Amino acid sequence: MMNAAFLKMINVIVEEFSHSYLVPSFLTLFMKSSVAGDWVTQHAKDPRVKLVAAKMKKENYRPDALIEILHTAQNAFGHLPLPILHFIGKGLKLPGSRVYSTVTFYHFFSLKSKGEHTCLVCTGTACYVKGAQAILNELEDKLGLKIGEVTKDNKLGVQAARCIGACGLAPAVVLDDEVHGKVLPADVLAMIHEKTNAHEQAGTE
Amino acid sequence: MNIIEININGNAIKADAGQTILEVCRQNDIEILTMCHMDGISDVGACRLCLVQIEGSNKLMPACTTKVMPNMAITTTNERIKKYQKITTELLHAERNHTCAVCVANGHCELQDMTAKLEITHIRYPHLFPDCDMDTSHPWYIMDHNRCIMCTRCVRVCKEVEGAHNWDVMGRGHEVRIISDYHTPWGESETCTSCGKCLHACPVGAIWPKAISQGQLVKNPGMINDLVEKRKMNL
Repeated sequence: MMNAAFLKMINVIVEEFSHSYLVPSFLTLFMKSSVAGDWVTQHAKDPRVKLVAAKMKKENYRPDALIEILHTAQNAFGHLPLPILHFIGKGLKLPGSRVYSTVTFYHFFSLKSKGEHTCLVCTGTACYVKGAQAILNELEDKLGLKIGEVTKDNKLGVQAARCIGACGLAPAVVLDDEVHGKVLPADVLAMIHEKTNAHEQAGTE
Repeated sequence: MNIIEININGNAIKADAGQTILEVCRQNDIEILTMCHMDGISDVGACRLCLVQIEGSNKLMPACTTKVMPNMAITTTNERIKKYQKITTELLHAERNHTCAVCVANGHCELQDMTAKLEITHIRYPHLFPDCDMDTSHPWYIMDHNRCIMCTRCVRVCKEVEGAHNWDVMGRGHEVRIISDYHTPWGESETCTSCGKCLHACPVGAIWPKAISQGQLVKNPGMINDLVEKRKMNL
């Protein structure tokens, strides 16, 4: 009974009446969407997708290589979009709930974009005493960004860390991957503007 | 079979070397309170209600995941253990929203039974009242995260007995939630077989069939172990 024609018929019925009470809700049980399949065929030429696919192949599709593959995906995309999680889950034959639980357990993995550039403010004891809060206040006043937020154009994200181990440089800020020590709130803003503007110039060339 | 001798509450008892303390106690009619344990599925030691005192160890150990050792001297109940059991049960109440008067499982709830058994009349801790959803997307069943106690019995029964692995746990600390698939609504899950085993495994009223009302949820948790045993026989 569960052949293609039957499924098509069910889909037609549900689509026609999806906003009314006419569809018996159990019919939705027979509708299985394939999020991963569609998205991956659309983005097959995306080098980032290719990178993740290559990594999965290199790890021989072992389910216990999940964390390594998630690392590769996060480095390629900057965060972990849901279709990529579907793609990885299908590839490694892991249940979706297992993939999602791993991603949400570790703080390193992020489901939301962290921004093209990141400004990580250390809020450890030494940096706090030396004025980390003033930097965070300045970022909130001038850019409207609180900890964990990203600008609307996805250019910049602000994060905080408990201690980055550079207490001698307090207050310390990490812009992308560069550590800047003994900074004033105004310095941080200037460096951020330099970063985002340099990106704009590179984009127009 | 490697038979060893252990000592439980001052009585010498013979046990198999591979058994857990809980299994030995159940065989010998020694009462141990449990919440996350369920016959037929694996143990994780999540609820901490089965804590026992082992001589020579300062820590209390969970009976469900601790294996018996030769000449182990175990105390299954004393003032310290009772105190912790009370605290644990009160914290289960305080963590989410457990209101028996409006719950479908009223009268058939393991948390309710436990609370009555431990003679808890007040919750000494402030209730957290977290912002939990209620998933009504499944055509037949409802999942109410407000009543979930995170015993993960539904997760284990779905993974080990049904083999679908629709459920898992996301996040950590206060933020933990039971999720289906990629945190998708239950009704849109690609893995759920709608078998209803999680409903029978749930010790509280967090999962129940639609179209039943307060106090009407009667479960058959023994069915899970029966199923596991029958499958073994078929082999």
